[in-house]
Amino acid sequence: MNDTRHVTIVMIEDDEGHARLIEKNIRRAGIMNEIRHFPDGTSALSYLQFDAAGPAMNGPALVLLDLNLPDMSGTDILAKIKSDDRLKRTPVVVLTTTDDKVEIQRCYDLGCNVYITKPVNYESFADAIRQLGLFLSVIQVPEAAG
Amino acid sequence: MPALSQKLVNRLVIAAVIIGFLTVGVAGLLGARALQQNLNYTAWVTHTYQVQQALSDYRILNERVETARRGFLLSRDPQFLVVYERAKRELYPALDQIEELTGDNAVQQSNIKGLRLLLGNQLEALDNSVEAAKAGRAQDRFGVDEGVASTRAIRAITDRMSREERAKLLERDADRRASVADLTRILSVAGVLLVVTGLGSLWVILAFTRDLTASRNQLARLNAGLEDEVQARTADLQRANDEIQRFAYIVSHDLRSPLVNVMGFTSELEASVKPLASMVAKAEAEAPGLVTTDARLAVESDLPEAIGFIRNSTQKMDRLINAILQLSRQGRRVLVPEKVDVQKLMEGIAGSLKHRSDEVGATIEVTPGLPTLITDRLAFEQIFSNLVENALKYLKPGRPGQIQVRGQRLPGGRVQFEVIDNGRGVDAKDHERIFELFRRSGAQDQPGEGIGLAHVRALAYRLGGTVTVESALDQGATFRVSLPAKLSLEGAAE
Repeated sequence: MNDTRHVTIVMIEDDEGHARLIEKNIRRAGIMNEIRHFPDGTSALSYLQFDAAGPAMNGPALVLLDLNLPDMSGTDILAKIKSDDRLKRTPVVVLTTTDDKVEIQRCYDLGCNVYITKPVNYESFADAIRQLGLFLSVIQVPEAAG
Repeated sequence: MPALSQKLVNRLVIAAVIIGFLTVGVAGLLGARALQQNLNYTAWVTHTYQVQQALSDYRILNERVETARRGFLLSRDPQFLVVYERAKRELYPALDQIEELTGDNAVQQSNIKGLRLLLGNQLEALDNSVEAAKAGRAQDRFGVDEGVASTRAIRAITDRMSREERAKLLERDADRRASVADLTRILSVAGVLLVVTGLGSLWVILAFTRDLTASRNQLARLNAGLEDEVQARTADLQRANDEIQRFAYIVSHDLRSPLVNVMGFTSELEASVKPLASMVAKAEAEAPGLVTTDARLAVESDLPEAIGFIRNSTQKMDRLINAILQLSRQGRRVLVPEKVDVQKLMEGIAGSLKHRSDEVGATIEVTPGLPTLITDRLAFEQIFSNLVENALKYLKPGRPGQIQVRGQRLPGGRVQFEVIDNGRGVDAKDHERIFELFRRSGAQDQPGEGIGLAHVRALAYRLGGTVTVESALDQGATFRVSLPAKLSLEGAAE
């Protein structure tokens, strides 16, 4: 548990409500890791790639990624993360409303680690996040590259 | 040129051509008649010459008789007598010939009568003088010889006849000349008319041909344009269709996102109500003065009720959005035409619904010998499983359900299938409505969102077909699906 404690959860989600619900449910699952929330792709990418505290420079991280973002497509962010040598081992969990088969396949092709569809039914949603919490508690996240 | 005046001109031209040809025909007839007349006149002229010839023959004979008699009288040579007798014998036949030839001319006939009379007298006188000579009597009455007088009279009459014939000849010749002149005039006029008509016809034909060529070229151009137009329209339709599909997809996704929030926070709210309710209950027990009726009601009934309505509505909205998504997905699916064994497929549908039909006490009968067709199997199956499910769903309570699936080939390469039930039927005013998205008919006693038939119709359209219903309330319903026997992807909105 100590290992995962300093893993930062980077949540890229434009919908404040969704972000809040995700955070609430992660906390309910007993995951106390720091959660950094970014409402758009640009600020998220600059944090991931260039911030001193970001995963590229320092410390392990896990990315929670929504595909529908105002400034760029989530798949673009995914592609950028997976093509960056310092970031490509960072696990990416795509958590989005899109349940289109083609889109899901594309995300896995780009190297996404887990794809979760946001269910409209809240119980299912909360369930999914709790299971994600369980997943987070056992996951081994690599240390910062280099 | 305006259509009406074009029509008028055409009529005028046709009338002119007809008149021209008629005139030429009349001229031809007139010419033929004139020619015939001319031949007639020529025959008459020849006839006149013949009469003249006969007359002159007669006159020669007449002279010969007289000369032979004189010769005999003077020389008593019997040689002259032989000539005299021979010429005398020929006189009557010669006269007969003239009479025959001039049978049409009264003047000549009366002349001939006189001639015949004179001939009798003459021959009698001549014979008398010859007999006298034979008897040896002297030629004393030579000067008062009646024969000479008769001969002279005959000469005068034949001269007159000859003149008469000559006059006739002149007259007939003049007629002939006139008729030839007529013929010439008629032929000239006909010739001019023929040339005018010919030129007119030529002009009309040339103009017509030119028009025809122009029209054909224009038609070819229009045809080519039409094809381009159709292609452009098809492309437009394609784009519009794609646009709608994309729109439906995006809208349904973007609608889902806020819905997640509504449902999520409604649950959070519900969760928050619980501690509040227990607090109010605790406060009521420990310090009843603190709890107002409003606060208690809000926690106990108002909030749960509001939360319940929000939850139901959002759930319904979620189902509707999912329906739109499903339709949009169906529209984007690539169709794969393949040979479909309809008999097997329909029996499969009936088999998979066996449990349900047994439950409601209904029978599903698939008529044997259903026609096969080439179409998209998934879409086809979806259409008919929806229709049969609907038939099972909307049975008339108290009447054992009977569902029948039939099919037949139609002319024009189409196939028609029917799903017939004896259920509660559809009111005539709803026959179109039931195929619209989210619209339903009759008592709302069955679960559903009004998606099934909209889906059926969309699928039928995609397969290049149609779906209609024939039904009356409480009389059962017949759903008819007409599909092309062979699905062609170019024609469908793909």
